[in-house]
Amino acid sequence: MNAPDRFELFLLGEGEKKIAETVVNSIPNCSDFLMKKEDHTIGNLLAEHLKKDPQVMFAAYKIGHPNVPEVLLRIQTNGDINPREALVKILKQLVAAYGQLGREFQKELALRQYADQGRGWGFEWFNKVQMGWNDGGEKWCLLWLREESLGGGGMKGKNII
Amino acid sequence: MDYDPMAMDDAESLGPVVKISQADSVRVKFELQNADISFANSLRRVMLAEIPTIAIDLVEIESNSSVLADEFIAHRLGLIPLNAEGVEHLLYSRDCDCEEYCENCSVKLTLHAKCTGYENMSVSARDLVPVGERINQSLGTPVINDKDGTGPLILKLRPEQEIKLECIAKKGIAKEHAKWAPSAAIGFEYDPHNKLRHLDLWYEKDPKSEWPPSEYAKWEEPPVEGEPFDFDAVPNHFYYNVETAGNLPPDGIVTEGIKVIQQKLAGLIHELTEGEGEGGYDGPRSPDYNSGPDTGYGYSTSYGGNGGNQSAWGGGGGTTPFGAQTSYGGGGWS
Repeated sequence: MNAPDRFELFLLGEGEKKIAETVVNSIPNCSDFLMKKEDHTIGNLLAEHLKKDPQVMFAAYKIGHPNVPEVLLRIQTNGDINPREALVKILKQLVAAYGQLGREFQKELALRQYADQGRGWGFEWFNKVQMGWNDGGEKWCLLWLREESLGGGGMKGKNII
Repeated sequence: MDYDPMAMDDAESLGPVVKISQADSVRVKFELQNADISFANSLRRVMLAEIPTIAIDLVEIESNSSVLADEFIAHRLGLIPLNAEGVEHLLYSRDCDCEEYCENCSVKLTLHAKCTGYENMSVSARDLVPVGERINQSLGTPVINDKDGTGPLILKLRPEQEIKLECIAKKGIAKEHAKWAPSAAIGFEYDPHNKLRHLDLWYEKDPKSEWPPSEYAKWEEPPVEGEPFDFDAVPNHFYYNVETAGNLPPDGIVTEGIKVIQQKLAGLIHELTEGEGEGGYDGPRSPDYNSGPDTGYGYSTSYGGNGGNQSAWGGGGGTTPFGAQTSYGGGGWS
């Protein structure tokens, strides 16, 4: 019938800009950013992280209508940087943080698979694994073995380089 | 017992920390630490709705003498999980140069079954046969994980009934239709003891006995009797349980989710720092169009201020989509 196509939730329309800045003249150092085809995923993420920035005095988002895939984000800064710079800064931090999360996840996954192989060595399971790098750039890994597998010996760490 | 203070000391400065408690072919369970709830929730939302997979989108029915209506069968076909390995090399049909669909943007499957015996016959996902050129040999193949090896049941045929059809599977995301969701379910939990009182637990007599503790309750300190409420406390530990529908491996859902959200954020950076990019393509465009590894969209250098983090998603040609660099510590995220 007259329902809009569902791809309109995430596909930019003809000539639409992903993000547009409107300076709010009545408030100093304040801008509204209208993000098209976005939702709470981006809106909440950005607003919450902007609020943590000491240079940002105000940040909030709203989705004017649940059927309209637009996010309005208002940012007011303390004047050291302008709202656009604040937003770009947070965006870059978030890209880096998600990148970090991805690497962390890959690393832990590799370790988990390694630990799961340990079952083949006669260990029931490792309780927990932890991995990192020491100052010399060497990889270390601690495996907590489940108590039963040690015959009641309690928690033991094992170091593997 | 699960937490050791020693294990925590490198966690503080590094940003998000992950601990995986279970990883197999169906699910991955992990804990995310040192992140805030919006960060965790965005990842959850993206994994649910915005990871591209492949699903049957067009069905051309040549003959159907079964008891089920054509559109009913078409709907059932759409919901069958298809292997999405290598879907990143598949184009969205709307971005493809072809007229309606082609082998660069779709996978064709056929189904032809006729009940010739005297007993009713089951037609299941196993009987869907991919035909024609494919990007790789697994893309678009129905996922079959049950022990009989038949896959999901599509319909049943009485003697002499016949079904013959052709399906076109296309790439899409779950925001458009749930059939493209890679995850069967995503468990998401924090604060198992409800110390933050984000939940108001209904109970008849005693909430303690009526609400059994979650499996993560023993991972966190239980509340102390008579302890004053901490007004400044925020959730900091998140427990995910990502279960796949079979089209992507569970860890692939997580890494793809991270990639998608990075692409969303990078797209905004691009728009904000580009200034007035003249001649840019302004028309409708799929979320990850033009951002594949082989197209030079220039993201890899447009933001790189942070330490050794030269490319947010793997321009370095590493085996992981996150590049091989680990020396992140420039102090972006806190």
